[in-house]
Amino acid sequence: MKKEIKIITKNWGKINPKNIDEYIAAGGYQALFKFVKEMSPESALGEIKTSGLCGRGGAGFPAGQKLECVAQEKSKEKYFICNLDESEPGTYKDRAIVDNDPHMLLEGIVIASLIVGAKKAFIYINGNYRKQIEILERAVEQARKNVFIGQEILHSKYALDIEIFAGAGAYICGEETALINSIEGKRGEPRMRPPFPTQCGLFGQPTAVNNAETIANIPWIIESGGAAYAKIGSKKSPGTKLFIVNGSAKNPGVVELPLGIKLNDLLEKHAGGIQKGKEFWFAQIGGSSGRLALEKDLSMKLEYDREAKIPLGSGAILVVDKTADIHELLLSWTSFFRRESCGKCVPCREGTFRLWEIAKRLKDGEISERDVAAINDILWTLNNTTFCPLGKFAATAFSDAISNFQKEIYKLSR
Amino acid sequence: MKIKINNKNYKAEDGELIYDICKRSGINIPTLCSTPKVHEGVCWICVVENNGRLMTSCNTKVCDGMEIVTESEKIAKARRINLELLWADHAGKCVTCKKNRRCELQNLAEEQKIENFHFIPRKEEMTGGEELDLLKDNRSRVVVDEGNMAISRTTELCVECRRCINICPTKEFGFNNRAGDVVVGTPYEKPLDCIFCGQCVKNCPTGAITDKNDLQEIIEKLDDLKKMAIALVDPAILETVAFEQEEIISKEKLIGILKATGFEKVFDLGFGMEKMLEQMTEKVKINGNNNLMLSHCSSFNLYIEKYHPQFKNNIIDVANPDELMAEIIKGEYAKKEKINPQDIVVISISSCVSKKIKKSSNVDYVITVRELGRIIRQKNIKLKDIKESYFGKEFAVKDEKVKNAIRAGGASEIIAKKTKVKYIAADGVVQIKKVLDDLSKNRIETKIIEGMICEGGCINGGGQARKLK
Repeated sequence: MKKEIKIITKNWGKINPKNIDEYIAAGGYQALFKFVKEMSPESALGEIKTSGLCGRGGAGFPAGQKLECVAQEKSKEKYFICNLDESEPGTYKDRAIVDNDPHMLLEGIVIASLIVGAKKAFIYINGNYRKQIEILERAVEQARKNVFIGQEILHSKYALDIEIFAGAGAYICGEETALINSIEGKRGEPRMRPPFPTQCGLFGQPTAVNNAETIANIPWIIESGGAAYAKIGSKKSPGTKLFIVNGSAKNPGVVELPLGIKLNDLLEKHAGGIQKGKEFWFAQIGGSSGRLALEKDLSMKLEYDREAKIPLGSGAILVVDKTADIHELLLSWTSFFRRESCGKCVPCREGTFRLWEIAKRLKDGEISERDVAAINDILWTLNNTTFCPLGKFAATAFSDAISNFQKEIYKLSR
Repeated sequence: MKIKINNKNYKAEDGELIYDICKRSGINIPTLCSTPKVHEGVCWICVVENNGRLMTSCNTKVCDGMEIVTESEKIAKARRINLELLWADHAGKCVTCKKNRRCELQNLAEEQKIENFHFIPRKEEMTGGEELDLLKDNRSRVVVDEGNMAISRTTELCVECRRCINICPTKEFGFNNRAGDVVVGTPYEKPLDCIFCGQCVKNCPTGAITDKNDLQEIIEKLDDLKKMAIALVDPAILETVAFEQEEIISKEKLIGILKATGFEKVFDLGFGMEKMLEQMTEKVKINGNNNLMLSHCSSFNLYIEKYHPQFKNNIIDVANPDELMAEIIKGEYAKKEKINPQDIVVISISSCVSKKIKKSSNVDYVITVRELGRIIRQKNIKLKDIKESYFGKEFAVKDEKVKNAIRAGGASEIIAKKTKVKYIAADGVVQIKKVLDDLSKNRIETKIIEGMICEGGCINGGGQARKLK
């Protein structure tokens, strides 16, 4: 087996995340040096575009394209936001990045902000991440002392200030327009698009919002070149990805692997397979909002692909074995969405509530015929008529479960 | 730009909304959440199909080559499910509701033929023990606010359409809590303490925000033969009273109907307006100061008191026309007609909600156009057969021009003409704020300033009825 390339996790466990000197000694901030001394924002943007890096938050939108949109805007004020509002159940990759190597993230934020021409960057972090907020605050302070952030970055003409903004832990604030509303001090609700944040975002100015993991890839791309990055992983979406394996796997946790890896290989080779004495039932790909992969889907490739039947999402994989109670799972999914819907639009506010209600009745075995008809209606309206994608997410896993495990759910076997 | 709607070609301007084009072209699209200025796209009733994809027509701008369908099976399904979901969240106490027959949700349900309900109601009163059990963690918190004289609120009937949030000029409302527990309310659910312009009441599609009054008591007094009920008719209400009851085609017909509902006398408020303007003119003449503010808009007075108290002394304090008239009615008129003033009930029918707050002792009740409609409906009279009638001659209006005071800028124009001074008139909180801002920075200097909180003046007042279809 050839040696695996580590990009994000290369320093994990080797350096002290609280000490900037150890990161520098491990070759850190070299990309920023290279960017400031040798490159222009345009050439750096070119490298990112060549790399084919796509958004790791879940949608898989090409990162280079997004940065370019903001870079091309002529506005004087621009903003860059690092989206660290990680609240998808079972997803903790961004938290792991901050825990192990916060300076890599900061370096990425500085480079990306300078590329788009932003003078102010925000790190929007989930307010529940108390420890991570502390780590980041310390890291920003250290970086400022080393003139990686500030008025004259590395004594050049570049200037950037980074502010850590702690949200209140709402799931919807991971959606970029809701996130922007939240920073502006408004209620965390999605905005109508267009205009897109790249044109009219934070305080009405062009804004780039990128996921923390996406940003953490940038220093490597700048240092080693976009072409080298494009060679890693699958053709459709190059690079490596942090996969989070949860559930009945033998070795759950975060693992960095090239994109394009087969689900089967990930589970067997890297997560140690299923726990002893248990039998694989299905896996949920991409957190609570993800679709279900059955045994026949085990050979699927894990990559960002618009046409994929099962999207990769945030990279969280929940392995479910046959001893699991499907009703508990349904209730867990629906109670999450019924709590996290913002309440703005009718289908999502009422639909997620009703779905949760029905899931409760399913668990208690009190399902009526009126509920069976209602399930289809609610799933349809969530799928087709909600204001933002949260409604669609709320229906995904539930519809998959209903269509695949009808027998178990309605207890028809009795 | 050319677009297709229902397979017909239409011309559209860049940046226009699909809903506006359809409305202009006579294509009916139902909607629940949009207000004239803000389109949120949250109710998903106004859905249309564009190349097979559902979208809200009220906030989607047109693009070249759009092919819009406004009626299809898919659209009907989306409307049906979302309406059903809303209904299940609504209290559904239609028969006893203040808004019965004037409720947009009820009308929509009827129009879309919602008959079967798949969802177990959330806020409805349940009787059976089993059903109650089912609803245990299902009943969301209901907030009732009866803390003021003019507006009553109950979230029980609220469908979270956000109209009041968007329409409120002083931004009193917002969403509290989230997801299924969302309620529209004031910060920390404090009792409403605003300028009571009543625009929220006017725009609320259901009975969540309504006029506050004891209508039963009023009807009892109307029926009481010992009491003499006198109606003061604000000229502004003639603009919209037909929306409430379509049979009211003219002023004379309205007076006839009022007499049939139990008012012994119907007077024109124009008389009181004359009195008020006369007194104002006098005060402007005597007062040597500049930047005097007219007091005829009750909401404006409240606005100055609450948000810009530094201008409190600029207001020239003259009583409302209702009060001026009621004083004469209970004084001179009662003496002349030999009636005990305590047997006179003066009811002002107004387009204003905040008059209820600023009501003085001589006026017994202030009712809005909507409340008048409810009284008429409750009385169950055959409106068609009612003959026309006229205002009582005791309080005749000398010059019909005084009635211009119901429009923004009207009152100040009349006073300025008589006293030959300069004036500034502002309507709507945005304009008023600008004028006050200029004033505090000494950028303007004039004799009189008129502020009307409702845009356009009383003709667009918070107590007016709204055309529903």
